Amino acid sequence: MYLALLKELLRNRSAAAGLILLAVVIFAAALGRVWFAGDPWEMSAMPMIWPGQDMENPLGTDVMGRDMATGLVSGARVSLLIGLSSTLIAALAGITAGALGGFYRGWIDAFLMRVTEIFQTVPQFVLAVVLVAIFKPSVATVTFAIGIVSWPPTARLVRSEFLLLREQEFVLAAHTLGMGDFRLIVTQILPNALPPVIVMAALNIATAIQTEAALSFLGLGDPNVMSWGTIIGNGREQVVDAWYICGLPGIAIVIIVLAFNLLGEGLNDALNPHLKER
Amino acid sequence: MGEFLAVRGLRTWFHTRGGVARAVDDVSLDVRAGGTLALVGESGSGKSVTACSILRLINEPGRIEAGEIRFKGVDLLKLDDRGIRHIRGNRVAMIFQEPLSAFNPVQTVGAQIVEAIRLHRCVSRREAYARVVDLLEQVGIPSPAERAREFPHRLSGGMRQRAMIALALACEPELLIADEPTTALDVTTQAQILRLLKTLQTAKGMGLLLITHDLGVVAEIADRAAVMYAGRIVEEGPVSDLFTRPSHPYTEGLLASVAIDDLPPGARLPEIPGMVPSLLAMPKGCAFADRCPRASRDAGCFADSPAFAPVAKEHRVACFQARLAPVYPLRVEKNDAASDAAPALLPPADENVMAVA
Repeated sequence: MYLALLKELLRNRSAAAGLILLAVVIFAAALGRVWFAGDPWEMSAMPMIWPGQDMENPLGTDVMGRDMATGLVSGARVSLLIGLSSTLIAALAGITAGALGGFYRGWIDAFLMRVTEIFQTVPQFVLAVVLVAIFKPSVATVTFAIGIVSWPPTARLVRSEFLLLREQEFVLAAHTLGMGDFRLIVTQILPNALPPVIVMAALNIATAIQTEAALSFLGLGDPNVMSWGTIIGNGREQVVDAWYICGLPGIAIVIIVLAFNLLGEGLNDALNPHLKER
Repeated sequence: MGEFLAVRGLRTWFHTRGGVARAVDDVSLDVRAGGTLALVGESGSGKSVTACSILRLINEPGRIEAGEIRFKGVDLLKLDDRGIRHIRGNRVAMIFQEPLSAFNPVQTVGAQIVEAIRLHRCVSRREAYARVVDLLEQVGIPSPAERAREFPHRLSGGMRQRAMIALALACEPELLIADEPTTALDVTTQAQILRLLKTLQTAKGMGLLLITHDLGVVAEIADRAAVMYAGRIVEEGPVSDLFTRPSHPYTEGLLASVAIDDLPPGARLPEIPGMVPSLLAMPKGCAFADRCPRASRDAGCFADSPAFAPVAKEHRVACFQARLAPVYPLRVEKNDAASDAAPALLPPADENVMAVA
């Protein structure tokens, strides 16, 4: 079944493009560490060497003379790490809240949906900034903050799927076989509710990466970690003299966000039964 | 022989915004060990709600208000959650009308039956799988090992219903509840499935509660039948007796409406006039009174609901005007059909409204 899904994805043009872009970024993050193994914070050469000028620093150096390539590779790792793990947090929280609300309805549902609404009425980014500012900025707190602000849409989606699916006859049938609530939720309803959640998660990763970049641009990233947002933030005063300092990590962000968006779209085509007939 | 399944005074009511719908109101019935009881009635008469009540599968806004459901002496309504879960699927199993929607679409048929077995039996996945193949073979599925690996939508309707039966039989239940098991199937497949159910029942000595609106199905496999109308049982008895000597006017009407073989060509099909009363606005007296050819004010048909009383051995009916109809002609000779069909079909001395043009 997973093999069939992969085949379907590769046949889908946007999903294939997304997968290829994603592979490039993962490749850069993994193998780049070997070629550019240095500390991204170390001043390794003259400041503001343009890309291509010096083969020691193929992508140039920033205002402090730090190697751009090393920084970009480190940023790719951070982006992927924070994007994936914060989405995982958001998905777990969203699925739990949505599943409980949709399955049990009643006061549990009312309570969980009010909590969701509170989160949805506060602007996501502002909340993330506040959360990171309260706790000390680090990879863990940034991940946690992004995860916490992005679970409500998943919760709503899962809840609506559960409300529909719990009335299906196969759930009743499983109930007559003597299954308990936990088993019903996990083995019967959840697998059927998952496809749209997967699509949403893929798109969520892209948003999370952007949020992380924005946070580190504002100086709210982990001070020990070189991320794309940090590089852009540091280079923003030289944007006229040396645009590449902001431009290169900017392009990197565009590529990775595009990759996850294309992948999400492709997954939607592959998993959404309503679009199958086209 | 002790009592097997005894439902006594069951009331399942739905508390809706429009009022209380008494979907099942004071229903009592018995399924005997190894016997088959058919619960007959039209859509909305409360058959399925009765069945679901037995396994306590009623969801809000429905509630079981009163009654006892004794299964081998244990009142199922008094069991805790663990207790009822141990009954469901293990000792009492249920099969559904639409086998496609009763299977989880994202799991293979085999995996679902394995799960059903492992819910109640401590066996390894491998042992359970061997049992699945065995079960699928028992219900007559060709190349069972391959079919077990298929997803439900890949099987045909009849095949799916067979798989559904295999799923229900996974833990060798003592009682099988079949909720319109053949309604969604075509006629030839229906006959096969019924035969299969009958064979399996005899082989395993299961009790069978068969819910249907198809009198043909009743005649084929049930030994006793209970007729439901608007949430109540109006007549209950051995099938042979009930079919030949129906005593409640509703049963008579139902039987007349299927005896179309006896009608002259071009005749209007017999029907029961009127409509089933809304469950939200039940009349004060007998629920059938408004449509009943025999209803009379003197007998109290419009004032009280009739009690359930025996009219013959093991044959009970809830009607003030109950009388055993003379032996019902199941088939009328073709030659006298043209002129005498109507009187021959209907119990005499009845100002019966079933029109025969």
